[in-house]
Amino acid sequence: MNFICNFPFFSILLSLFSGTVCSVLPAKAAKAVNRVVIIAVGLMSAVLLLYLLSTGESFIYWMGHFPAPWGNEIRAGVLEAGMALFFCIIMYLSMAGGAHKLPGEVVESKHNLYYILVNLLLSSLLALVYTNDMFTAYVFVEINTISACGLIMIRQVGRTIEAAVRYMIMSLLGSGLLLFGLCIMYDLTGHLLMSNIKESVAQLIAAGEYQIPLIVSVALMCIGLCIKSALFPFHAWLPDAYGYSTVSSAAILSSLVSKGYIFLLIKIIYRVIGFDIFNSTRIIDVLFVFGLMGMIFGSLSAIKENDIRRMIAFSSVAQIGYIYMGFGMGTQAGMVASVFHILSHAATKSLLFIAAIGLTDVSGGSRKFIDLTGAAYRNKWAGVAFTAGSLSMVGIPLFSGFISKLLFAQAAVQVEGKMLASLIVLGISTVLNAIYFMKTVIRIYTTAGESPYSGVTFRDMKAYAVTLLFFILLNVALGVSSQPVVNMIEQGLAMFA
Amino acid sequence: MIISVILIPFIAGILVPIIPFQKRWQKEVFLETAVVLNSILVWYLLLHHSDSTFLLAHFTGNLNISFRVDGMSMVFAGLVSALWPFATLYAFEYMTKEKHENVFFLFYTLTYGVTLGIALAANLLTMYFFYELLTLVTVPLVMHTLTREAILASRKYLYYSLGGAAFAFLGLIMVIVYGSTTDFILGGVLDPAKTVGKTNVLLLIYVMAFMGFGVKAAVCPFNSWLPQASVAPTPVTALLHAVAVVKSGAFAIIRLTYYSFGTDFLKGTWAQDVVMAVVMFTIVYGCSRAVKETHLKRRLAYSTISNLSYILFGAVIMTPLGLVGALTHLVFHAVMKISSFFCAGAIMHQTDRHYVHELNGLGYKMPCVFGIFTVASLALMGVPGLAGFVSKWNLAQAAVESGNPLAWGGIACLLVSALLTAIYMLTIVVRAFFPGKDFDYGTVSGIRDPNWKMLLPLFIFTVFIILFGVYSQPLVDFFMEVAGGNI
Amino acid sequence: MYFILLSIFFPILAGLFLLIRFRTPLSGEKAGTDRKPLLVLTGIFLVITAVFAFAAPLTAREGFTLFYLTETLPIYFRIDSVGQLFSLLAVIVLLCAGFFSFSYMKHEERESRYYGFYLILFGVLNALCFAGNLITFYLFFELLTLSSMPLVLHNGSREAIMAGLKYLFYSLCGAYGALFGIYFLYQSCDTLTFTAGGVLKETAVTQHGGFLLLTAFVMLLGFGVKAGMFPMHAWLPTAHPVAPAPASAVLSAVIVKAGVLAVVRITGYIFGTGFLRGTWVQTVWMCLTLITVFMGSMLAYREPVLKKRLAYSTVSQLSYILFGLAVMNEASLVGSLFQVLAHGFVKAALFLCAGAIIYKTGKTRVEEMRGIGKEMPLTMWCWTIASLGLVGIPPTGGFVSKWYLALGSLKSGLPVLDVLGPIILLVSALLTAGYLLPLTIHGFFPGGDYDYSGLQKKEPRKLMTVPILILTSLPVVIGLFPDTIAGIILMAVKGR
Repeated sequence: MNFICNFPFFSILLSLFSGTVCSVLPAKAAKAVNRVVIIAVGLMSAVLLLYLLSTGESFIYWMGHFPAPWGNEIRAGVLEAGMALFFCIIMYLSMAGGAHKLPGEVVESKHNLYYILVNLLLSSLLALVYTNDMFTAYVFVEINTISACGLIMIRQVGRTIEAAVRYMIMSLLGSGLLLFGLCIMYDLTGHLLMSNIKESVAQLIAAGEYQIPLIVSVALMCIGLCIKSALFPFHAWLPDAYGYSTVSSAAILSSLVSKGYIFLLIKIIYRVIGFDIFNSTRIIDVLFVFGLMGMIFGSLSAIKENDIRRMIAFSSVAQIGYIYMGFGMGTQAGMVASVFHILSHAATKSLLFIAAIGLTDVSGGSRKFIDLTGAAYRNKWAGVAFTAGSLSMVGIPLFSGFISKLLFAQAAVQVEGKMLASLIVLGISTVLNAIYFMKTVIRIYTTAGESPYSGVTFRDMKAYAVTLLFFILLNVALGVSSQPVVNMIEQGLAMFA
Repeated sequence: MIISVILIPFIAGILVPIIPFQKRWQKEVFLETAVVLNSILVWYLLLHHSDSTFLLAHFTGNLNISFRVDGMSMVFAGLVSALWPFATLYAFEYMTKEKHENVFFLFYTLTYGVTLGIALAANLLTMYFFYELLTLVTVPLVMHTLTREAILASRKYLYYSLGGAAFAFLGLIMVIVYGSTTDFILGGVLDPAKTVGKTNVLLLIYVMAFMGFGVKAAVCPFNSWLPQASVAPTPVTALLHAVAVVKSGAFAIIRLTYYSFGTDFLKGTWAQDVVMAVVMFTIVYGCSRAVKETHLKRRLAYSTISNLSYILFGAVIMTPLGLVGALTHLVFHAVMKISSFFCAGAIMHQTDRHYVHELNGLGYKMPCVFGIFTVASLALMGVPGLAGFVSKWNLAQAAVESGNPLAWGGIACLLVSALLTAIYMLTIVVRAFFPGKDFDYGTVSGIRDPNWKMLLPLFIFTVFIILFGVYSQPLVDFFMEVAGGNI
Repeated sequence: MYFILLSIFFPILAGLFLLIRFRTPLSGEKAGTDRKPLLVLTGIFLVITAVFAFAAPLTAREGFTLFYLTETLPIYFRIDSVGQLFSLLAVIVLLCAGFFSFSYMKHEERESRYYGFYLILFGVLNALCFAGNLITFYLFFELLTLSSMPLVLHNGSREAIMAGLKYLFYSLCGAYGALFGIYFLYQSCDTLTFTAGGVLKETAVTQHGGFLLLTAFVMLLGFGVKAGMFPMHAWLPTAHPVAPAPASAVLSAVIVKAGVLAVVRITGYIFGTGFLRGTWVQTVWMCLTLITVFMGSMLAYREPVLKKRLAYSTVSQLSYILFGLAVMNEASLVGSLFQVLAHGFVKAALFLCAGAIIYKTGKTRVEEMRGIGKEMPLTMWCWTIASLGLVGIPPTGGFVSKWYLALGSLKSGLPVLDVLGPIILLVSALLTAGYLLPLTIHGFFPGGDYDYSGLQKKEPRKLMTVPILILTSLPVVIGLFPDTIAGIILMAVKGR
């Protein structure tokens, strides 16, 4: 076995231990460790990705070399490695973009706690990405939840505690359902390893036994993960959680945490149940319908919103609806589109959160639109970045959002019964996106007389501006040269099967 | 070469706020030179065009951004590049009274490049790309005055346009999936093997895409942004909201209908009936609203709505002759409407009067402007000997020849609209020249014709209105060639 | 060919020259005291134009194309007998009314505008008469509307402006109706050149016969607007009276005849009477004309304002002509064309008389004009003679035309309408007498209780009376030599 094959395991452990290390380090050092770890993990993922692309097949890593069913397995394919790399990039940029706000948002004494949580979150995300074991997955789901909760709560404002509690309850509900599903599945198949479950499920289906418990189990797992990833109508926890936490947290939560769960769901669909079996259930129709509804209602809520952060948060609901719509189509193309949208949305949403903070900072900290008037002139970089993010969300060519829209639409056309519905909702949702994002863009570019707030220049916020620049570049890169990424996704999904 | 004509305006536009011009005239000279140079380049390109496609970048899959000069691009690019230098010249004079000149000229010039991008696009994706871009670069122009009204207007414009594009996007998807290529090929690119059994869905999507692109072409019920957008400075309303932007919509629909879906596929279907009915309704609706409207520029904007639907009417007849009619009106209406808008702008600039009832008796004070306005009005009405008659004649002939009874009804709509046009245009003329017996001429004292920078474009346009009216044959022959796919 | 062009473009250019050269100051005062140069120039231009217009038919009778509007739309001129007939009428009336205006317009503002458009109108009318195909005709038909509108709203009162707009929109409405037909005809005809007997394609008639009939009907209605045919006649009684009297004369006597000429052209020279005869279009059209005849007379009878009364009378009388055209046989056509001349001269004379009365006394309502005959005997005599002509008392032209019309109608063999037509014509003639002659009667015999003391000689100047005299004598002249004129007209009808 190649040395590189250790990388997934290394990266999980690295982030896990660095979290522990951070607890004893002073805040500054913790920050440095955090950055280094993210970069290191990113580099490892990149190397892994290159390796996998060169070998062209996935591998399974036995932890401690115990074969299944006793050992714990990690599996790495192109998709996993790519996702891990991408998560690292986004996480690094989000941390960098929010760094200058941290002192104001979190009390000094809790800074290293903050980094612990981030590192834990990273490790759990990596574990969700790489694991080949349902129970491990469940464990890291819980770790993920806890660290996410901590990230929300670490900014100790009244609203965040409420939000964190709400998030906690909903998330635990989701985890509970996932656990139920898992138990039933274990009952039915007697396995916890994904590949083994898949074989048994195929046999059960072939034999025609335990159909209903099987469906129930799948449904429970799906619902659990849907709740955690804030699919409409389980999104009630989301706006507050994203809207009031620290800026980096919001960016990470919206673009990574929910995506981690979604990625787990993809793994379950492919690796546990089997793509075809999953598609033959009615669950995908339910997902499809909820996805469509999410696209519309999420945007409608966002339109009504008067607070820029909450608006962006609601927009996430809509975007997650897109992803589930892709699942609901039940085709390979739909899945590719969804995975691409995971990337695209992650890149865009974190950009928006980071840019929004720049805008609110120069507007006296207020997030109300009325105060944001002309903010883009006061903070030019944030203004440009927010505009770029909005354009990507609306789906203007050259930005990543356009490609996901394109992929979704192309996928939709191939699905006979769902084509019209998805196309029309796609159109309507674009209109709605345009309404609230462009409203904001126009608002921040409107000058109505002298503003009471002073602006900032590039010199005041070098790191911030550079982060934004990278975000925009990432977006454009996804938008312009999407073909390699799409190829990679296709390859990765092929490896899943 | 082909990309340079798109880039030059971009570069020139971006340079405007960057170069620290000492004097205003330096900036004017710089911009005008850039624009004229670019126009010359465009014309050179059009006249020496080769059939080759210029590939700029691969997008995803087999999609790419590429440019090519074909007949349609020649018409639209030629039109735009012919009008832009004049409009710029006019804008210099007009903008003396407005603020934020640099930003204005930045986006104004950018728009030139983007519009050329639409015209020269070789495939649907490239066109869609520039189409979206056009929305974005023109929003700041609508917003320009930053009044509440302007902000509302630009918001509405943005929502409508982006929303429309969202549905036009569906058409793009259909062409990608069911077509053999996304390149523009006269007669359509749909692959009959793939479309079997999908006809109705495709037609539905066509209607949606039509309405989507139709937003820019102000098809009813998506037209209300256009009159509102007339809060923008007049050079914008004149050039963009009478020519560049709205005609991009019409152009896109022609591309979609003739070059992507293909008329063979669409002709005689319910989709054709639907879009034709919509267009016919818009023709009459726009005019009726224009009659009711008392704000001069908004009245002209409503008139534009109606006239754009003339073009679309020609397009949805879906015969080569229909295309000829559409193209004729595309070009002729541009000249007529820009001329009348510039008159309106000159009136506003010289007198600060915006409403029709304030124009009493101005005809004697501004004889040149109102004389030209009269010519433009008569041309819009379709008086023989002026440009409007020829284009209407071509449209009507196409409709008659198509043998489609609905299209025959469309002729009636054209004529009703012509009558309404007479009402809303000539009342202005009559007011200006015949203010009535007890009119107090003291109220118009001190008002004069504007200076040559404003008048020169007006005179040139008027010459063209008359020229097209009496001698349009070469141009129409050229359109015939385009519609026949020979160019 | 040069004379045709000269007769068209010389007056148009001359008119433009007047408009530009004699621009009136803006202050709204009376035009400069020195009217002489303007009047002399106008007079010279009018005469020259008239000479050109007379010379045109003598020099060239074959058609020529001036240029092509588009490849398939030539602007083509040709003189034929019908055109010549209308041109004759136009030239005489325009000359007389033109000279009449020299003194009438003394008190009006902006004279130069009036004369400028008057001359342009002259050119356009010539062009209409000489137009050789439908496109050319349509072109000048629109221009006619546009160039005559300033005459209607000349006095600038609110009422006049509204009337001008009403006139404009009705006319355009009609013109667009006609244009609708032209669009279709273009595809159904080999050519749009006026050719006696029609130019419809055989195939088109067999394929779209029904639709072509509808087209014909729309065109008739459309051109009928200009000729004041029911149901689109409402503009006429509004627009004609508000214009200055000589302009009213021109409008009522000549411009409305452009509508008649259009109807002649499309029925005889485009569709061909053979195609229309015996169809529903003919029936409906005849009914409409008869309604108009009767209605016009009735309204005129009830109307107290003199000029308005004359305008209603025009509505009625024009439909005599249209009725004749609708019957579509030889006698009726002769009657119609005879009526064109007769009515043209008579109506011009009547309007000029009314103008003279207004000019001299300022009275506009009929009941104010008691005893007017004592003040203006010459004018009133002319009025009386012209009235008799309109009523149709021999030996005036009006009698001859009505005779032929009735004859044609009775010969036509159409059910019901062949008899109903002449009856309505007769009734209308009685009404005509009823609304015109009271002025004569009260004018000359104001009654026993009339106070003669306030009377004074108010006969207008020669510049006014001479045109009236000429125009009054002409219908009598043509009435005295009916055979000659009818012969000429018959030649015109046959020589198509």
